[in-house]
Amino acid sequence: MRALPLSQPVRRVSTRSLARVFFRSFFLQASWNPRGMQNLGFADAITPALRELYPEPAECAKAVARHLEFFNCHPYMAAAILGGAVRLEERVASGEAAPETVSSFKRALGPPFAALGDGFFWLALRPAAALIAAASEPFVGLGCVFVFLLLYNAVHLPARLWLFATGYSRAEGVVEAVGRAHLATGTPLLKACAAAMGGALAARGVLAAGFPLRPFQALLVASTMVVAFAILPRLGATRAVYFALLLGLVLGARFV
Amino acid sequence: MFPLPAGGATQLFTLAALAALIAGLSAIERKGAFQLMLSRPIVLAPILGWAFGDVQGGILLGIPLELLFLGGVNLGGSLPENESLLAGALASMVVPAGLAMHTGVDAPLAALGLGLLLPLAYFGRRLERAAEGRNAQLLEQAMARAERGDPDAARVNLLGLLLPFGAAAGICAVCVLLSPLLALARLQCGQMVLSALDGAWHAVWAVAAACAIRAIRDPRAPVLAGICAVAVIGATLVFRWVS
Repeated sequence: MRALPLSQPVRRVSTRSLARVFFRSFFLQASWNPRGMQNLGFADAITPALRELYPEPAECAKAVARHLEFFNCHPYMAAAILGGAVRLEERVASGEAAPETVSSFKRALGPPFAALGDGFFWLALRPAAALIAAASEPFVGLGCVFVFLLLYNAVHLPARLWLFATGYSRAEGVVEAVGRAHLATGTPLLKACAAAMGGALAARGVLAAGFPLRPFQALLVASTMVVAFAILPRLGATRAVYFALLLGLVLGARFV
Repeated sequence: MFPLPAGGATQLFTLAALAALIAGLSAIERKGAFQLMLSRPIVLAPILGWAFGDVQGGILLGIPLELLFLGGVNLGGSLPENESLLAGALASMVVPAGLAMHTGVDAPLAALGLGLLLPLAYFGRRLERAAEGRNAQLLEQAMARAERGDPDAARVNLLGLLLPFGAAAGICAVCVLLSPLLALARLQCGQMVLSALDGAWHAVWAVAAACAIRAIRDPRAPVLAGICAVAVIGATLVFRWVS
């Protein structure tokens, strides 16, 4: 850390600017690019805070340019890093820390938070919410859309807000706070729930093909599921669908 | 004469405008803004169905698509197939075709539409790569502006939303306008072809269920799903036998 010039007053970002930073964090990937990944979105999101911390336009532009460095994380988990970066920028603007502190913070937290977010949100929460919603469709009809959105966003939105607030209030301490949030421990439960719902949906497919009194078709659909499950990693979803369409066309034509 | 929805060509153009707006917004929501999952097939297809006046048709298309593409995850620089573009285009073509036939969406129509439009999932991924290339130019612009001392240099970020919006809106509007052709093709199908297409849709469901279980990426998932499937089938059979 840099030596502190004692005369400089402590600078703080107003609640209004924090709210604007949080809102802009929803556009983190608007200009995702292979060179800097989420860098442009990050710089855009943090701009309201930087404008307040550095009233001089040239100084502010310099700070914005610092945030145009490479940055990549899970888009939701990035809220924690964004909050932490605002807190660190306050320290930089007050002369309590060097600008490199912010870069190091972003670089250090990006990859582990990305892995955590991918595992929880993309690979557990989303499949679980989607499969529960799909399984609920015969009972709630269009309501399944709201079931999905509610289940997913009831976790996603509060999590995002909490991550941003915790990042801002604790800066480097956000790692400990996220560690205590037990995101990873909830993942197996969500996956088990998703698997059960996947089974229910598979049963629905078999039953839809088999009724009324078409046991052979039901058996065919069940066998297709098992075969598709086995060959999917090699075939990919799109090609598997074409094979299924072809198979269905050939076999379906026999049941006129 | 092509089959048209009840309101004729005027309604078709209204539906095209609606599809363009909804699909365009969902394209930017998918990655660039919010990510509230409004662009997932299970949401987008029913919403389009509702906007067109056939919710059930939207649901019939959205659920298998959701299951098929549940495993597609955007990790780092890797891009999954674009399930939102496919869902938007499929609903935009199949639901108005169902309206034009005055029968609504059925399994043969859905299978026909899916077979035609499935390559859009690949095309959507290529489109996304192209948008990323354009975003790299926006980054250059932002860097140049910041160097010149512009504190709002990063505001160009939002320009990255334009290309996905325009592309998805255009594709889905065209799909609505082409829907009478799909309706015509479906009306020409004989009994044997209809039965074949019906079978094809069941097979798509089978693959979709398999994809969904794979998407969970857990070694316990197939066993749990199998137990649950057997339980549900057993319970349904018992219930039907009793009642």
